[in-house]
Amino acid sequence: MASQNRLTNTLIHAITVPPSPQPVKPLLQVDGLSVSYGRQEVVRGVGFELGRGKSLALIGESGSGKSTIARAVLRLLPSGASASGQLTFEGQDLLALPERRFRPLRGRAIGFVPQDPGNALNPVRTIGAQAMEAAALTEEPSAAIRKALILETFSQVGLENPQRVYDSYPHQLSGGMLQRVLIGLAVLPRPALLVADEPTSALDVTIQKRILDLLSRLQSDLDISLLLITHDLAIAAERTDSLVVLKNGVVQETGRTSAVFSSPNSAYARKLHADVPALNPDRYARLRDPALRLRNAGEAPKIDVSSVTKTFTVDGKVLTAVNDVSFAVPAGTTHALVGESGSGKTTTIRLLLGLEEPDHGEISVAGERLSGRSPQSLRSAWRHLQLVYQNPFTSLDPTWSVENLVREPLDRFKIGSPKERAQQVREALANVGLGEHLLARKPSALSGGQRQRVAIARSLVLKPDVIVLDEPTSALDVSVQADIVEVLLSLQAKLGLTYIFVSHDLALVRQLAHTVSVMQRGSIVEHGAVADIFSNPQHPYTATLLQSIPSGVTASVPAVPQKSRHILREERIA
Amino acid sequence: MSNAYLTYAAKRLGQAVVVILLAYVFTFVVVSILPGDPITSVLRNPQNGFSEEEIAEIIAAQGLDKPIAVQLWNSLSGFLTGDLGVSMRSGRPVSTLIAEVLPSTLILASTGLAVAIILAMAVAYGTQFVPKRYGQGLLRGFPSLFLSVPNFVIGLVLIHVFGFQIGLFRVINPDSFWATLFAAIALGIPVSAQIAEVLIANLDREAEQEYAAVARSRGIGRARLFATHLLKPASLPVVTVVALTIGELLGGSLITETVFGRTGIGSLVQRSVSTQDLPVLQAVVSLGAVVFVIVNLIADLLYPLLDPRVKILGGKKRTPTTADEVSINTTKAVAS
Repeated sequence: MASQNRLTNTLIHAITVPPSPQPVKPLLQVDGLSVSYGRQEVVRGVGFELGRGKSLALIGESGSGKSTIARAVLRLLPSGASASGQLTFEGQDLLALPERRFRPLRGRAIGFVPQDPGNALNPVRTIGAQAMEAAALTEEPSAAIRKALILETFSQVGLENPQRVYDSYPHQLSGGMLQRVLIGLAVLPRPALLVADEPTSALDVTIQKRILDLLSRLQSDLDISLLLITHDLAIAAERTDSLVVLKNGVVQETGRTSAVFSSPNSAYARKLHADVPALNPDRYARLRDPALRLRNAGEAPKIDVSSVTKTFTVDGKVLTAVNDVSFAVPAGTTHALVGESGSGKTTTIRLLLGLEEPDHGEISVAGERLSGRSPQSLRSAWRHLQLVYQNPFTSLDPTWSVENLVREPLDRFKIGSPKERAQQVREALANVGLGEHLLARKPSALSGGQRQRVAIARSLVLKPDVIVLDEPTSALDVSVQADIVEVLLSLQAKLGLTYIFVSHDLALVRQLAHTVSVMQRGSIVEHGAVADIFSNPQHPYTATLLQSIPSGVTASVPAVPQKSRHILREERIA
Repeated sequence: MSNAYLTYAAKRLGQAVVVILLAYVFTFVVVSILPGDPITSVLRNPQNGFSEEEIAEIIAAQGLDKPIAVQLWNSLSGFLTGDLGVSMRSGRPVSTLIAEVLPSTLILASTGLAVAIILAMAVAYGTQFVPKRYGQGLLRGFPSLFLSVPNFVIGLVLIHVFGFQIGLFRVINPDSFWATLFAAIALGIPVSAQIAEVLIANLDREAEQEYAAVARSRGIGRARLFATHLLKPASLPVVTVVALTIGELLGGSLITETVFGRTGIGSLVQRSVSTQDLPVLQAVVSLGAVVFVIVNLIADLLYPLLDPRVKILGGKKRTPTTADEVSINTTKAVAS
């Protein structure tokens, strides 16, 4: 299959480019690459090639081996991993090179942009000290010129105050700034190949777009080849020339990105396409829309937040985290709070959950006022108001079994006999699609999707009316996210739950929410029905957010079939 | 040196003084409520041959007939002005007795600490660079092995091998260079095991961090990675461990001094315990508290200077808008 695609590619080239006497060798050619950790083989017989100045995306869910391949190219596999096959880079087999001959290639010829910028720089050394390591690779003898080079690179990657960045420690900069630093350090020695391992998955959606724009720009300006690892097909489609789809360490499909994107051949690539929220805005319409019909016109809203303000004093400065925020959510519907980090979403739900007291304004849930109540009476309100936390990898106590985790709320509120509790635990688990065989498992023996299902079951077990979902899928893969969204929407349809859905992912919001409030710097800048906001944003900030959704459209994308072009046009309007 | 740091330092210093005073009061009270009356039992010892009048006179002169609160006050104000009282056994000022033996113990303890740190560093370095087939596992076993061997055993072995068999030092001349060095080695080995254990675990953890891989992707070699990237963050918790092992060094030096026949605080304590010389014991215990508190104070003051992430928390309310960053910073600080 791979060879067939390569053949097709060659044929396309043969038609468009006149055949040169010597065929141009690709910069990086991977043949039969296998990587195993101990006995477990995580990458099996992977092959692809990347031409000079071209870009290629490795795409797949976690565990597909895409990051492992990236690490194999950089020879940064953890100890205990062994790689076989051929990685030919500029005519040398990288796997066969001894470490001392490979090391000069690192940084100089092959640059690396990591996944999580927050952990990718040494926390106790200044940015400048670490940048000097990259600058040293240029062989420039003068330290002053090396520093000037660093500052120039920093401004090239869009850092406004290069000297300040140079003197800072990593924790003093935001994630987006750190990722710019890391990209700058990677391109500073002018490598021929840049390996970017999910460079934006830890960043906000608007920053994600800027970082990807930066990478694309640098790639074409500096004529660098880009190996982009991602789980988001839309990003890959926007940014790369060719695509390798991976599942469980095996290549499912390869080819030109536009071809794979518009007409995926393998079932897995089709599923990936279907799971990207940006590409399938109406995927859950069947589950989502009936809730609106059930709504009675005159009914009081389930959640009513009116003119709520909350300020904090930090270092003597008054900071308005939430400023005059109002919204109402009808029973059985989903209201989304959208905004970047620091926009006040988190404070708003903390107020809603009664974890903070508003300075002004009122919050009522199911007609009951929340503000000004004693912790005792709040406890009963909490029964009807549950939270699903962002990261299922940290929100579940690793020493507890699934059964105990889900039963804990029942124990806390002393509901039913032990036998009834056990029954309710089973029911809640069945509701989220988890079997009884998982009852005794510890979170570490569950996948990310299963863990988040446990977290949802835990919030369901008290039979609440309202569930606050705090970015419930942001720590999960696209395909796992699709499963969780499906679970949430079927639960809503079945149990008539009201959701507050906090997210920075507008594409996801469009798929599952009924109404939305867009927050910026503590205020709601725009609110209304999802369909209206998405088709006709009034506020420039909303428009920026909408433009940041990766849509899979690039300027250079050639003809796509009629049907998907129609969808894509809608994307653009939205 | 920011204003916040100076405020923090002043606060910590104040706390340290309070701890020292409380430790002094605590030892005083414990000694006073101990069953039996060591003072009169010493004085009444027929060998000393004091008459009842003389005993009453001595007790009055020492202020021992006054209420306990007054005694505590006198003792405490003496302590604060450097007057540690008079030894009951020799009749000489306690401060003089301590001043005589303190240098020897200080030399032993500081050499022991140096040995401990150097040895721990060497072992930790080895665990990162010695290949598995050349005994990395042996080095990794070092901490648990030497934590479980009491230091007097190590001392006896060292005396036997280097003193008697090889003859590097003479046991009857305990203050010679070699004898001091081997005493320090005996003292330092168990302490180094504690430091090495923390250091190895931290080096392993730091080497797994993403930033280490990213640094290597910039062409940094393993030796430079160790020296410039891993060592500092891995050593931060070691500062705390070293401060805590000071107690061990002090306690260990008492035993080591006995084993190696050195005069020092150890031998002074040993004599004072056997003769129930309370003023000396009270002074030594208080001195130990002072040393311990000062060393930990230094560690606390050093920490914000070494780790830029440590925020000097002044009891301000944290904001949920920046809660992510704040909590990350504090958890990092707490974790390390």
